[in-house]
Amino acid sequence: MRGLVGFLLFRVLSASVTLLGLTLVVFTAMHLIPGDFTEVLVPRGTPEFRKALAERLGLDGPLYWQYLTWLKNLVSGDFGASLITSQPVWKEFAGRLPVTMELAVLSVATSIAIGAPLGLISGLAGTGRFVSAISRVFCGFTVSLPDFFLGTIFLYVFSKYALGLTVGDFVPLSVNPEAHFRGMALPVLSLSLLGIGTVAAVTRETVFTLSDQDYVFAATVRGRSMSQIVRRHFVRNASVPLLTVISIYLGYLLGGSILIEQLFSLPGIGRYIFQAVQARDYPVVQAGVVMIAAAFVLTNMLTDIAYGVIDPRMRAGHEH
Amino acid sequence: MIEIKQPIIEVRDLVVEYKSHPLPVRALDAVDFTASADETVGFVGESGSGKSTLAMALGGVSRSGVRPSRGSVQTFGRDVFALRGQDRRRFLSEDIGFVFQNPIGSLDPTRRIGHQFFTPDGQPLNEKRVEELLSSVGLEDTGRIMASFPHEVSGGMAQRVCIAMAISVNPPLLIADEPTAALDASVKTQILDLLTELRARARSTLILVSHDLHSVRKYCDRVCVMYGGRIVEAGPSRDVFDCPRHPYTAALLRSIPGFEGPGGRIEPIPGYPPSLNGQASNCTFAPRCALQIPVCRENRPPVSVEGDRTKCCWLPGNEIGMEISQAGRGYHA
Amino acid sequence: MSIEATMKFFVRLRRAMLSDTVSAVAAVVLVLILLISIFGPFLPIGKPDQIGFGPRLGGWSWSAPMGTDQLGRSVLARVLQGIRVTFVLSTVSVAIAGLAGALVGISATYFHRLADEVASRTADIMFAFPPILLGFLVVAIFRPGVTSAMAVIALITFPTMLRVVRASTLSVMRRDFMLVAEISGVSFVDRIFRHLLPNVANVIVVQTIYSISLGMLIESSLSFLGLGVQPPAASLGSLLRDGATYLEIAPWLSVGPGIILALSIMSINLVGDATRSFVDPTYRF
Repeated sequence: MRGLVGFLLFRVLSASVTLLGLTLVVFTAMHLIPGDFTEVLVPRGTPEFRKALAERLGLDGPLYWQYLTWLKNLVSGDFGASLITSQPVWKEFAGRLPVTMELAVLSVATSIAIGAPLGLISGLAGTGRFVSAISRVFCGFTVSLPDFFLGTIFLYVFSKYALGLTVGDFVPLSVNPEAHFRGMALPVLSLSLLGIGTVAAVTRETVFTLSDQDYVFAATVRGRSMSQIVRRHFVRNASVPLLTVISIYLGYLLGGSILIEQLFSLPGIGRYIFQAVQARDYPVVQAGVVMIAAAFVLTNMLTDIAYGVIDPRMRAGHEH
Repeated sequence: MIEIKQPIIEVRDLVVEYKSHPLPVRALDAVDFTASADETVGFVGESGSGKSTLAMALGGVSRSGVRPSRGSVQTFGRDVFALRGQDRRRFLSEDIGFVFQNPIGSLDPTRRIGHQFFTPDGQPLNEKRVEELLSSVGLEDTGRIMASFPHEVSGGMAQRVCIAMAISVNPPLLIADEPTAALDASVKTQILDLLTELRARARSTLILVSHDLHSVRKYCDRVCVMYGGRIVEAGPSRDVFDCPRHPYTAALLRSIPGFEGPGGRIEPIPGYPPSLNGQASNCTFAPRCALQIPVCRENRPPVSVEGDRTKCCWLPGNEIGMEISQAGRGYHA
Repeated sequence: MSIEATMKFFVRLRRAMLSDTVSAVAAVVLVLILLISIFGPFLPIGKPDQIGFGPRLGGWSWSAPMGTDQLGRSVLARVLQGIRVTFVLSTVSVAIAGLAGALVGISATYFHRLADEVASRTADIMFAFPPILLGFLVVAIFRPGVTSAMAVIALITFPTMLRVVRASTLSVMRRDFMLVAEISGVSFVDRIFRHLLPNVANVIVVQTIYSISLGMLIESSLSFLGLGVQPPAASLGSLLRDGATYLEIAPWLSVGPGIILALSIMSINLVGDATRSFVDPTYRF
């Protein structure tokens, strides 16, 4: 069991270092913005107000002190307040987080539900010229079609013709679940095309690799059926590479949903941060960037831990 | 009293070709082979001689999924390459046990060993039976091994586990494809002892693919020496190794320490193994053979049977060992 | 890696690529798109900034095959300019950042454990920022524009290249021929240039190709949000942004740029796959 504990500790420690690093990057970036930082934060504040703010945020001290104060505030959940609404940033985020999370979860689910079977079938179909060509063109297409362009097409087609899925007005889940999902379907489809192609491509490649493994050949010659082999050996062994792409895809979704939220006017975090960028609402930008990047680091940490749970060999060699 | 054994495996004129560019590679070139119940047969030869391909073909399987382009394999009276679907799976799971070269790789890395045993119809085997099997292959700490992952046990232990899996249905035919090649020398003998002991107890047939001539001589009743996709010589293993009749067998023995005889020298076989492209219509060993005569390079040598020994060579005469040795020396002088 | 060897590499690569239908089509499409965008200014299709070339928001016509925009400019001419901007911007940023990433990757890995640790940690941190978010940070500092877009592409390319090159360098360093070279007294410079680099170069080439297409995607995403190339200059992303405004009455404003963008990214990716399978035979489509 020592192996597992050591493995977990190492992962958590490594994620903490990355988290610390990224706060440093964001802090440095915000201080690279030309002008006094209090001026950046409240461009129209009176000098007295700015001074008071500087004192409260610890901005009157040396840089490292400012960083530590900011970090302390972050850890205690104080992300600052929006310059526009004066609401605490965390409050603004809390209301919008579910929309972005839902987009991400639904997109990942759709990608796996469609991409994995496609990849499995094409992988079992082999490396013949015809199958390879189809799979390459399909995966190439899905990975290359920019999601915001696909979203634009959806927007045009579905607003022009009544095809059952709605665009433009977001209905919260609690108000009308059916209308909610009708509205979410197109954004999710736009976002998951990339995921479908990526998952399919990785699944196909993994099927090739696994088919070469001795234990798969051994299972075949012991008379196991294809479905038994897939269930017993493929699913578990393929989940490591699949987890890898899904965690990368999740990271992409955290940022990529900005365009789609904007395009479909969904009240998610991405759109909120984007509006903050346009309005130069820096506390929101700063907190938003830290939060999303931190979410990505935490996802990666959980993925790493999941590797160890799925594949016991990874626990043994946890030094990378 | 002469005991006539009924063959349980009959290979006739088997040709297996792997797709390759520009010419296909002929892994097996018109092979005939029979084996009977209750014997151990060894396949020896260099890498690429077709010994593994032949062993796999006895069960109607192959690593790359390639099917024979000619000939047939009858195992227990069934045309194994004609079996399909349920019949094929039933045959493979009940009648044959396979043991492979890389024991740890033959086990799923993500499952505990105890959870990798299955009944012929693919249901998980109950724990009690797994324990029995594991102790029958000489493993002691069965509980711990069942709870381990494959990478946590040694190669020798893993190979015992694989053997336990192979014999879980008491198959009448056991095919071991270089079962000791990846193991330490000290473990090697134990595994081979175990395999032959299990075989003798069950009075089944064991096919042992190996490039270790000493093991084959010790453990196998009969041996087939393979070269370039053909069986060049076959017979009782002691006879074949003590008194080879094919120049290749003789050369192979001379190239390995321990067979050179008192005062003999170890001599490598000159040249390289054949490339196996296309269908050679001559003796594939001819270019490396110290005793070659013109016809060797022209036509495929005939198979001559004498008693329990066969060979596939143009040269007349049986006691060829000495001649070859001397000719071989001349060749190097 | 002499020039002759490099030429030979490309000749063999071209042969391998043309022998496979999908790769061949992708390569031809890519070359066509690049050629047309280079020679766009000499084609009789109007200038990208020629207001009133056709009717305002006019549809398809022979002189303006992709229609005209809200100022009567030819969409085709603008698309050709846009692809040029998007492609050049991405390529230049990738060339600079990719080279830097490769250099740092190789030297940090090869020379110093601490440098390696710092470099890969930095890469991990940079990796945590989704591209668009990184764009927000950069834009907050530098204001929207070409420089910001290039900085974002570079910031994404650098750590990716570093990671890939690091992994490759490590695996090459573990190979026996590096040890043999060292023992047999091959000079340090020769070891790097004759043994290490040629084996890592493959990976760099492939990663560069993928990075260019990723860069194009990032550039157009930023421009689509209005954070990239600023008017009157146009990139494919900013054309799509303009198109979105008139989507309901003039969908052709979006269709042309979108299809060209998707086609270029797809052909670059497919060419990248083909190159990858060429340099790494274990990679199967």
